[in-house]
Amino acid sequence: MTLEAGELHERDHEGFLSEVHSFEFWFQSVEGYLHGHPHGVSPSTPFPELAPDRRAALVATLSTYCVGELTALEGASGMIGFAPNRATKIFLATQVADEARHLEVLLHRLAELGVEDAEAGFEARANRHLMAFRERLLAYVVEKDWLAALFAQNVILEAMEFAAFQTHLRTADARTAELLGGVLKDERRHIGFGENALGRHLASHPDDRRRLREVRQSLEPLVFATFEDAALQVGLPAAERPEIARLYLDSVARLGLGT
Amino acid sequence: MREPLLASADFDPAEDAGARDGAARSERRRFVLLDDTGFDEVPAKYRRFYRRWRGPGDVLAENEVLCPVCRVVIRSARELRPGDRVYCMPCMSRLEVVRGEAGRLEAIVRY
Repeated sequence: MTLEAGELHERDHEGFLSEVHSFEFWFQSVEGYLHGHPHGVSPSTPFPELAPDRRAALVATLSTYCVGELTALEGASGMIGFAPNRATKIFLATQVADEARHLEVLLHRLAELGVEDAEAGFEARANRHLMAFRERLLAYVVEKDWLAALFAQNVILEAMEFAAFQTHLRTADARTAELLGGVLKDERRHIGFGENALGRHLASHPDDRRRLREVRQSLEPLVFATFEDAALQVGLPAAERPEIARLYLDSVARLGLGT
Repeated sequence: MREPLLASADFDPAEDAGARDGAARSERRRFVLLDDTGFDEVPAKYRRFYRRWRGPGDVLAENEVLCPVCRVVIRSARELRPGDRVYCMPCMSRLEVVRGEAGRLEAIVRY
């Protein structure tokens, strides 16, 4: 149901959730920043000349991002089949569309950089820790383990991507930065959905925190190794590296899943 | 000449001052949210309720609070106070306004 704007904050929670989980909300949201941006970039944005070493680093980084997006695409689409209710299935369908777009624009950027058959080679160039994380997440999906899959995908993976993209776009060339900026806007929805859906579940099932802490502990070495490699790849100064994991750690703390 | 009220045996100056303070506290500043903040991540009719956060040096107005989940500034048509509820549409969170340790207004998630 679409509500009039009025004083937005006076709405009831149920009506708010009903609207923001809808396909209509998604469509009107993405229209604002994707219209007129083929492959996520304005047609007037110039093609920068990159030095060979910088180009090689960018190709490796974008290949890692492709693995993250492919994982989320396969994860979110698989989760629709065992999501707990209709609103969640519809939200996940919008996330599937987002993730598919992300993969497509990243592959397009790789092609712009002169990578031949980008789709065939990105997994070989990607970060090995993220590849291991991908296997674990998709195993939760195959097992239809809703809580673990939602936590691994919409809290951990999305927070990793959000932090990596936000950090990277500060130093990226204009076309890559614009593309990542658009992807970040989608990631806000995915992160928020994951934390809020888990938060509502844990409020009525507090014992499930124990299970999610186990999931967290088993995945965390891969998460931090991926964060560390991503920070090195985008040239983040050592002093700023702890900041890249802050979004994820803050979310885990709010959910009561800290150590 | 004494004020008529002061002549009353029931008059309590402290109580009167408290009542005036209470009235002042209950009056909230209203804000007209007509400006385009450039925020484009929600449907057009809701964009005025949000703006981008400009980093640690960003000063929040009396009707603004920062979303701790996605770091977007949430705006209200009225001055915000502890206990108020706001929604962050970009990340779909329900938040409660609280007074933080530093004395500033902050938001915490209410799942």
